[in-house]
Amino acid sequence: MVEADTRVLLDWDALEVGETFDTYQYLLTQEMIDTYRKGVMDPEASFPTISHKVDVKQYNAKYRDAGSVNARCAFYCYNPPIGGKTITVRAWVADKYLRRGKNYIVTEAVSVDEDGRLIDRVITHELKQPTEVGKKWGG
Amino acid sequence: MGGLVRSYEVGDELPPLVKEMAQEAINLFEGSAGQLGPSQFTDEETARETLGTEGTVASGRMSLSFAIELLRRHFGSDVFNHTGTVDLRFLRPVRPGDTITFTGTVTGVTREVNGSRVSVEIKAENQRGDTTGVGQGSAVVPNAYLPQNE
Repeated sequence: MVEADTRVLLDWDALEVGETFDTYQYLLTQEMIDTYRKGVMDPEASFPTISHKVDVKQYNAKYRDAGSVNARCAFYCYNPPIGGKTITVRAWVADKYLRRGKNYIVTEAVSVDEDGRLIDRVITHELKQPTEVGKKWGG
Repeated sequence: MGGLVRSYEVGDELPPLVKEMAQEAINLFEGSAGQLGPSQFTDEETARETLGTEGTVASGRMSLSFAIELLRRHFGSDVFNHTGTVDLRFLRPVRPGDTITFTGTVTGVTREVNGSRVSVEIKAENQRGDTTGVGQGSAVVPNAYLPQNE
């Protein structure tokens, strides 16, 4: 039996800049780190937190929409995370804007590990009309 | 690389970083965070429905990871992993089978309290010469890693 999707349908106009999402926690395992390093073909890759997309994790848990495309992403390195530590993420809506008639949402997140080490900060601009990719770049 | 005393000058070019994109790598990237269900990155049908593309695309966050690698290799882990930044705009989809070359050029060196912030312009191009991403990055190189006369 398929569970009903209880998430809120996104109303871009009503979305408030500054909305803070529920804190998100996850255990970063060494296996996650190793798999990330294989994926990016970099045995020294130090920020496997990138693939967790934590800045939009809680947005996606709260809202449903037509999907999104990452238009821009900024990343700040503070301390590489350590395998086996629990990471706590605080995320919020940092901005929203219209450009060329398209809707964008900017989310921001800060990650800290269980010892209080600041790990990273990520800011992502997502285009909320993902079919624009197919229209512009075709198959 | 990290810990070497060296100078940084505007116009310096970073050694290019080349990545061969394969669906398997994309799947590993997505799977590393436990994202195992079909998505526009891992499943052609989902990509068609969500993006309107014929096939899957790589997450922009993979390109972000590569840009970070480009700068980390240049500045060294002990510098970049604690002071590094990258801000990348994604201009074209990156797809399985693409070869993406990341390049960087130093655009500024400014003094800060504990060292010098070295700014880099970043560009990513596919095998056809199309620009897939552009942006900036930086790192603060400690005074101890800079020549004494700087």
